[in-house]
Amino acid sequence: MRYIFNFPDIGEGLEEGTILEWYVTKGQAVKAGQALCNMETDKVVTDIPSPKNGTIVATFGKVGEIALVGKPLVEIEIEGVFGAEAVVVAKEEVKPPLTEPIDEGGAGVVGTMELAGSNALLAASDEGSEKKEVEVKPVKKALATPLARAMARDLNIDINLIKGSGPSGRVTKEDIQNYKPNKATESVVRQESYKQPANADAVTYEPLTQIRKAIAKNMINSKQSAAHMTLFEEVEISELMRIRDRYKKSYADKNSKLTYLPFIVKATVNALKKHRQLNSQLDMENDRMIFKNYYNIAIAVDTPEGLVVPVIRDADKLSLFEIAQKISELSDKARDRKLTIEDMKDGTFTLTNYGSIGGIFATPVINYPQAGILGIGRLLKKPIVKEDQIIVGNVLSLSLAVDHRIVDGGEASRFINSIMEYLSDPVLMMME
Amino acid sequence: MTDYNLPDILLLVDKTKRFLIWIPDKSYIVLGASNKAEDALFLEKVKQDDITVLKRPSGGQTVMLTPNNLIISVVFFQPDNLHPKVVFNQINSLIIESLERAGVKNLAMRGISDIAIDGKKILGSSIYRSKEALLYHSVLNFGEPASTFEKYLKYPSKEPDYREGRKHSEFVTSLKEKGFSQTNNQLADFISQRFELASLQSDGFIKSEALF
Repeated sequence: MRYIFNFPDIGEGLEEGTILEWYVTKGQAVKAGQALCNMETDKVVTDIPSPKNGTIVATFGKVGEIALVGKPLVEIEIEGVFGAEAVVVAKEEVKPPLTEPIDEGGAGVVGTMELAGSNALLAASDEGSEKKEVEVKPVKKALATPLARAMARDLNIDINLIKGSGPSGRVTKEDIQNYKPNKATESVVRQESYKQPANADAVTYEPLTQIRKAIAKNMINSKQSAAHMTLFEEVEISELMRIRDRYKKSYADKNSKLTYLPFIVKATVNALKKHRQLNSQLDMENDRMIFKNYYNIAIAVDTPEGLVVPVIRDADKLSLFEIAQKISELSDKARDRKLTIEDMKDGTFTLTNYGSIGGIFATPVINYPQAGILGIGRLLKKPIVKEDQIIVGNVLSLSLAVDHRIVDGGEASRFINSIMEYLSDPVLMMME
Repeated sequence: MTDYNLPDILLLVDKTKRFLIWIPDKSYIVLGASNKAEDALFLEKVKQDDITVLKRPSGGQTVMLTPNNLIISVVFFQPDNLHPKVVFNQINSLIIESLERAGVKNLAMRGISDIAIDGKKILGSSIYRSKEALLYHSVLNFGEPASTFEKYLKYPSKEPDYREGRKHSEFVTSLKEKGFSQTNNQLADFISQRFELASLQSDGFIKSEALF
């Protein structure tokens, strides 16, 4: 059975590479993982390994020619696939290659690669009729500026049809603007779905910052790795407000600001001590749980550059005053972009105080691999029932997201109940 | 033209070192794996000034190395699980962090694997990968005037999107030109320390086992 191996994306997201050297020739036996050729993309030179054991039937492209990602690179006669299977596969309609992660033993290229699906296996007897499907011609590519390429793409113009007026025949922006397809070339203008014509004012492109890249990576990692489950609660905190008002001035005299957050940190640490699942992580590789006997509370901080999450280390050993000072210090460092990796690593549980900006409830994304994150919403005056009387209460909304692989619903409820108990009766948390 | 024989090639055989930050002893021109000298260079000027031309194993366009550059090289063995894009991103992030700590501002990753200040290139990098090892190397322009590159290097056949047709002298800048006052040896120490830290870290932004 024949197997078509397409040139994979070697990890730059580029569309083509230049063949520098072929290591195999027609008729040569190859093993999975054995280098087929040496390929150069814009910044990388790498060997391309064979995904299968077999015999090389054909190689596509000569040294110095361009190979396109997703197009055939070699055709391999695979060992041990015969008869009925071959006929069945050969009758299938030839479809575009599948995209899937490759994990071939011994192969040196990993990541998302264009793999030929089973429908790319051609029966030997049908190869003459199928050949047209896989024939690859060397690509003669026009030299062009990136702007010209982008404009041509947006306008559905085949840039290779345009004679460039720039250095060495490079196609320029002006060439694209002045291009008028004639009858001979009209037929090769690609007919694709409608795209907005290039318009310099329509969109603004800005490079991603390092913080934004890190946020994107961490958020996706969390969503893909943890089983998120969120609980919502409201807690009446009039007593806590009275205590805060009473001590606010003495904190200010000591050049510190007493907000509600230090109380919430303290309440969370006390609750974590009682509910250790929330201060743990799952170690799937070693089939075990890791329970942390230290309490490093990460605090999500909104900065103009994006979200950063510094950590209050050993929060269980700090007084309320020390926690307040630490929060203030880390917030300042975050906003001045002076946080170091030391300031941000080893958190065991995270708090996110979006309520200071305006949200009430949320479904926070867990700071993976931690087991949970507590969202603190806006403090609102609301009618509440106390001793059968409707009175005005000071209500704080809480949103607790947990990794449901680690924390069951009952444990999550008990944990948030503990926090609510401490926040509604703050003297209790000071007593413990 | 000679095969690449600069110090970082030894990283591929000396398995005790994971990175090397070094300053060239003289000027070299280094062609990318598929570059041709006649296409990439003003050969007469190169010959006239007796500049050594080498061909490196990694990809990318032709570069010039001078004693005013800092060369940063990192090797990974058994690189099966390493994605070139991730390597570029992670190593260049560490370099940006080091430069920021040294007081350099407005740095950003541009193109596939460049670092730029205010849209002008300050560092370019490339990768060579075999089944056994992956070698990342980059050239940080510490203090070489861009006019030097323009003297010897032709306009490249491929360019990153942000170059926008600019000639070398308008596209490349140096730390010195941007007012950086420390020496290249001091800067090398900053970057070495950051790499050492990354290699010791067990978590945080960088997974050490994936990097070093």
